[in-house]
Amino acid sequence: MRIGRYRLKLEKRVTLPGWQAALISSFAILVALLLFSVIFLLAHIDPLVAYKEIFSYAFTNRYGVLLTINRFIFLLLATFAFIIPAKAGLWNIGMSGQLYVGALAAFAVVYAFGGKESISAPLNPWIVLPLMVLAAFLGGALMGALAGYLKGKFDVNEIVLTMLLNFIAFWVVAHMIKEGGPFMNPQGRGESFALPKSLHAPLIFGVPFTIVLALGFAVILEFVFRKTTLGYQIRAFGQSPPAARYAGIRPFRIALLVFFLGGAMAGLAGYHYFGAVPGVYKIARTYGYFGDLSFYGIICGLISLNDPIAAIPVALLFGGLSIGGRFVQGKLHMGFGLDYALLGVLMITLVAFQFFYWNKITLVRVQEES
Amino acid sequence: MTMSEVRAVEGRVEPPYMPDVPAAFRPGEVILEMRNITKRFPGVVANRRISFDLRAGEIHAILGENGAGKTTLMSILFGLLQPDEGEIYVFGKKVTFRSPLDAINMGIGMVHQHRKLVAAHTVLENIILGHPRAGRILNLKRAEEEVVALAEKYGFRIDPRARVWQLSEGEKQVVEIIKALYRGARILILDEPTSALTPQETDRLLESIEAMARSGLGVVPFITHKLPIVLAVSDRVTVLRRGEVVARLDTKDVTEQLLAEKMVGRPVLFDLKKPDVQPGEVILRVENLSTLNDKGLLALKGVSFEIREGEILGIAGVSGNGQRELAEVLAGLRKPTGGRIVFEGKDITQASVLDRWRMGIGYIPAERKDVGSIGEFSLVENVLMNFYFDPGMARNGIIDYAKALRLTKELIIEFGVSTPGPEAKAKTLSGGNLQKIILARVMARRPRLLIAALPTQGLDIGAMEFVRKKILEAKARGSAVLLISEDLDEVMSLSDRIAPIYEGEIMGIIPAEKAKKEVIGAMMAGSRGEETQQ
Repeated sequence: MRIGRYRLKLEKRVTLPGWQAALISSFAILVALLLFSVIFLLAHIDPLVAYKEIFSYAFTNRYGVLLTINRFIFLLLATFAFIIPAKAGLWNIGMSGQLYVGALAAFAVVYAFGGKESISAPLNPWIVLPLMVLAAFLGGALMGALAGYLKGKFDVNEIVLTMLLNFIAFWVVAHMIKEGGPFMNPQGRGESFALPKSLHAPLIFGVPFTIVLALGFAVILEFVFRKTTLGYQIRAFGQSPPAARYAGIRPFRIALLVFFLGGAMAGLAGYHYFGAVPGVYKIARTYGYFGDLSFYGIICGLISLNDPIAAIPVALLFGGLSIGGRFVQGKLHMGFGLDYALLGVLMITLVAFQFFYWNKITLVRVQEES
Repeated sequence: MTMSEVRAVEGRVEPPYMPDVPAAFRPGEVILEMRNITKRFPGVVANRRISFDLRAGEIHAILGENGAGKTTLMSILFGLLQPDEGEIYVFGKKVTFRSPLDAINMGIGMVHQHRKLVAAHTVLENIILGHPRAGRILNLKRAEEEVVALAEKYGFRIDPRARVWQLSEGEKQVVEIIKALYRGARILILDEPTSALTPQETDRLLESIEAMARSGLGVVPFITHKLPIVLAVSDRVTVLRRGEVVARLDTKDVTEQLLAEKMVGRPVLFDLKKPDVQPGEVILRVENLSTLNDKGLLALKGVSFEIREGEILGIAGVSGNGQRELAEVLAGLRKPTGGRIVFEGKDITQASVLDRWRMGIGYIPAERKDVGSIGEFSLVENVLMNFYFDPGMARNGIIDYAKALRLTKELIIEFGVSTPGPEAKAKTLSGGNLQKIILARVMARRPRLLIAALPTQGLDIGAMEFVRKKILEAKARGSAVLLISEDLDEVMSLSDRIAPIYEGEIMGIIPAEKAKKEVIGAMMAGSRGEETQQ
């Protein structure tokens, strides 16, 4: 394209420094907000007012910010569930099923200790809480490992596999918590029994301790991928399975391992939302909603280019906008689903702007034709 | 003289469609001329004032290493690129090609190295595809007759009804040539014409090229590697180096040595001096080894041999006779269906790939890009492919990246790898440099057994010489070397013993000093060696 004496030229990028990726993503967010303004304008609402409400509720309001952080922890763990297999070139679409199984496993521990009987059952949190976390970790991990095993052993398509396992897990939860299920709430409201008060997760300034797990895993995963033999093997396999095999890396082991760890992260997300978020403390009737929300882990992973540290701001943004969007929808009397629409526009814009991760547009001065 | 008169005079079967070219040209007349062609790309001058001419009935080879500017020149000649400066004359007329179609219409035909054919279509359908007449109702019967006549005239053997996917690389090339001729090409550009052919196919192609030249066509083969071919058929040769013409010679005046020197810019050793090493202990013993190929067919049928310390065993053979399977089964990448592999007295038939690396087996795979390296990884990470498990490079599961960086820098210097630096991605390297870094990291493990599969295939003469020298160095250091190569000259010049392979069987093992090229060639084609010995 020519503009006056200059010509726009499209070039391939060879390398992408982190700060440029961040700059491109920030620009994408601005564009997304600009595009979404149309929705507000159509409803005769000043977009600036709306955005001010969204952001101030999500990130500065003392109730809103706690909600945001809880979603952020959940999304970050779901993102890790995606990132770990993605580094090995494998797609985990099974975070929702894995988090259901993780939550069930955590509640099974409480059930085994007799915690179903009464909300005031005096259980020792020093023993039961760690076991709940461990069970959630292993539950999700085994659910993931099932897919990893089948992928590694028989090369079954892991996308189909993990997706279909989600349906199984969904109905297993239904079986466990609905009428007649062993985890049924005594009042029978289509939800699980509530955790005894003694097992409510410890809070740090109102935030469940699971935030330490989520941020800790960000650092650990970054270290594993950058510095360790294991991380090297996973990345090598992700780039080129035949080259990895040549180097002595065993595909079966890698497939099993990444799905085990990915599933474990989703399992922790399940524990976090149903076992540690204040005011929930049970597998809610609307558990399917959180299963769907966990798929945003895929988007967060893709946008952060599978970097565990870069995933932190991305997950925080998505968590905040989903909370702020829902709040504004109520406050400004807008139609249902505003939060999802906002996330959707943001997602599409961010993905579209990934074009600039691999290409750049430069302005070249046109040489005078002789 | 008009076109039809030419037809009448020579009594040939002409293609039904002739491009817009003047017919009046006699053997020896200049039919193509490029004058002072210059083409710049950002940062480089790919072609600098290149002049070139071609006479009717002449074979004029263009020779140059990778990066010498051959591809650019070829693209300009075929209308894919426009030169920044310079002129092109075809049949005495100044032309400007805006696209390959212009070039085709001026009677220029191009046979690409990477075939551009529709695999599911028949040979005939591919040949008439894009032909100006093919837009109307097809007369396949007539077209078939014409194609068959054309093929016969130049000695091509091809079944016009065969499907392209069934053909060998050599046959596909024939289809491309006939397609160009059927389209009326008078000037034929051949890109690396013999690179994928067996020796027999090569001979047949050369005969056909000569037949084409005899009938008045001009032929321009572009060649990187195979110098003997240049000498065998061409009349003249133009040598390019770094985008410039460095020599234009009559082939009768040149030697292989001289051409290589012109191409590389310095004298090249063709006869590498084999180090004088006494073979020592048996390092590798293979007994009755069999395995399947990817299609599940028996590809290696009970192969047995030994390699000793300081000895090179050369496996000579035409592509697809079980060499790849042999290399992979020895490296542990393929399961054997029978037989034993004994390495330094230990049975390793069932050992894992990683265990074999640890024990001291080094493998240089033929597929450098897909197997031997990871394009998106830096050179440091590529070097780590053979070191991430090494106790000297990784402790408690944590890789010492600083050490890996130091090693990579050393290897880059020692092996003369041309690269911006150790953090550059492997995909930015040329084929020769990539092979150097693979070779460097495998050799850095000081393997007791080195398996080198097609180590010099597709490399420049300079890189080729370097790789061969390094293989001889491994031998001098006492490694046992299994050299798998499709280049018979290479096998004969490097090996201590030569084992021709045919359809998964070793046809005999001959000591290098007793080896005759004809005998080995015959064994590669399936005859059992008579004076063979174990």
